[in-house]
Amino acid sequence: MFLRDDLAAPTETVSRRRYNRQMRAREEAEHLLEAKSRELYEANQRLQKLLDTLETAVKERTQELEEARVVAESANEAKSVFLATMSHEIRTPLNGILGMAQALRDSGLSEDQGQLVQILQDSGGLLLSLINDVLDISKIEAGKLEFEAIPYDLRQLGDAMLQHFRLRAEEKGLAFHVSLSEAAQATIRADPMRLQQVAGNLLSNAIKFTDIGSVSLHIDLRETLAGGSVLVLRVKDTGRGISRSQQPRLFQRFSQANASITRMHGGTGLGLAISRHICELTGGSIKLRSEEGQGAEFQANLLVEKAQSHDDAPGHIAEGDQAASLAGLRILAAEDNRTNQIVLKHMLKKAGPPKLTIVDDGEKAVQEWQRGRYDMILMDINMPVMDGMEATRRIRELEHENMLEPIPIIAVSANAMVHQVAGYLNGGMTGHVPKPISRDKLVGAMKTALAKCQRGLD
Amino acid sequence: MKGIVFVELVRMAESALGEDVVDEILDETELETDGAFSVVGNYPCRELLTIVEAIGARVKVPVEDLHEQFGQWMFARFVESYPVFFEGKTDGFDMLESIEDEVHVEVRKLYPEVELPSFTTERLSVDQFKMVYDSERPLQHFCKGMIQSCMEHFQQEVDLQMVDRSQGGRFTAEFTLQKAA
Repeated sequence: MFLRDDLAAPTETVSRRRYNRQMRAREEAEHLLEAKSRELYEANQRLQKLLDTLETAVKERTQELEEARVVAESANEAKSVFLATMSHEIRTPLNGILGMAQALRDSGLSEDQGQLVQILQDSGGLLLSLINDVLDISKIEAGKLEFEAIPYDLRQLGDAMLQHFRLRAEEKGLAFHVSLSEAAQATIRADPMRLQQVAGNLLSNAIKFTDIGSVSLHIDLRETLAGGSVLVLRVKDTGRGISRSQQPRLFQRFSQANASITRMHGGTGLGLAISRHICELTGGSIKLRSEEGQGAEFQANLLVEKAQSHDDAPGHIAEGDQAASLAGLRILAAEDNRTNQIVLKHMLKKAGPPKLTIVDDGEKAVQEWQRGRYDMILMDINMPVMDGMEATRRIRELEHENMLEPIPIIAVSANAMVHQVAGYLNGGMTGHVPKPISRDKLVGAMKTALAKCQRGLD
Repeated sequence: MKGIVFVELVRMAESALGEDVVDEILDETELETDGAFSVVGNYPCRELLTIVEAIGARVKVPVEDLHEQFGQWMFARFVESYPVFFEGKTDGFDMLESIEDEVHVEVRKLYPEVELPSFTTERLSVDQFKMVYDSERPLQHFCKGMIQSCMEHFQQEVDLQMVDRSQGGRFTAEFTLQKAA
């Protein structure tokens, strides 16, 4: 240490020179700090201003986004409404076409004429399935595809597929098999229409793309690890197969393996996309195993509910039984559309026939029901003056006031979405038949409704 | 140069010589600032050199030795005021290495206008370390004092050699540190 610490002894008083030096240093420091503090204040002001600008910008941008979202949502809503409306509007005249074709076939035609009408029916049926596909895909996109969960015997699924596709396969010279595992010979809770749709799409494709050999459907029911049930639908064919490069595109909408396929075989390319969505919406999946030239195997897995002990799937009713039971029934039908009135008349002519009275709005239906004696009412939903829902409500009210037995009322409507049908049943109706009307469904629904009312409305 | 250096120099002198002696030295010396320094001010470096010379003349000690001692004094201040720079450093070599890339980076954030010396470091071997001081200010001995204190702080015994390579108004010194066996 060159500077020794022990010399540092502070004195009591300080010199004027030291005082002046300290004062000067202090003044300088104060001056500098004052300038710094002003700089800080100004910098702070600039930051505050920037913050305000940013907040305004964020608010404006949020508002713009919100507006864009509302516009996009309303556009999507408009698309859904348009599709739903169009599908309803197309179904109504299609009801006329299909119904009249059925009536024509029943009218005793020559063989040639019969074939012509058959083509008319087939084409109408194809058009109907196309409309249904487009409607389904739009429902899927809107997240509005609905599933029923009703008791369904899987043997019925096998029967339906056999009945539907055997002829088509035989016409192409293909062997066609439907088999059920032991576990699958049971009743489950599911949406029968959707199960048939998936199995039908896979079988229809398999038959379409197989020229030689066989097509088969195997139905199995497996337990999942979580204790649930998986319905496995396996469709195998000996067709041309699908190359690996084409497989990923196969399940996308409006997509077929390649464009020439579309030209040769037609179709919207929606079937597999819809099937995939149906499987996935149940929590399942759809898989494909295929090599080009070596056939294909599609496997659809659908999660289904196990049947409850009291579930008793309605068995298949033979047509003869239905016809017999409707003979002489007094039926009141409310239907404003002239074509549909004729369709109804012809449909029922072969089923009994019952005694049919037709009125063209809901108010007249209520009056006619009060005046005459009827066993059943077929009620259109959308009618002028008074709609079918209101007419039903009035009739149920009057029945209640006058302590009358409830009459079976069947809704006949093109609005056939699950929640709509639920609305009809909650509104006092006994059953529902979708338009375009198929005779089997109409007669089946009429018979079921009669049985229900004999047991008392449940 | 930052006012803190001047304030600390005066404080060191006062602690050793007493206020009266320091007052006398400052009064007798020709200074632009009249020896009035505040921590927040900035003053010419030559004022610092002049004061050190004046103290040296008064106590008859070579200015290089006084600079060295002032370097040690300032290192102690540094340890006291900025413990954060010592966190995670296990020895003196680590610390010296971090001056250029950590300490000076932070100093520049606070004082963008500051002129700092450059320190290049090199580990010659596990036990041997080289550091080169380069500046337009002749504070290589001050730097030596800081290095010494740094090694003491980490309780590291080293042999410190300094080779002065200053020329043409540029002050450069090469420090070699060899860990004691």
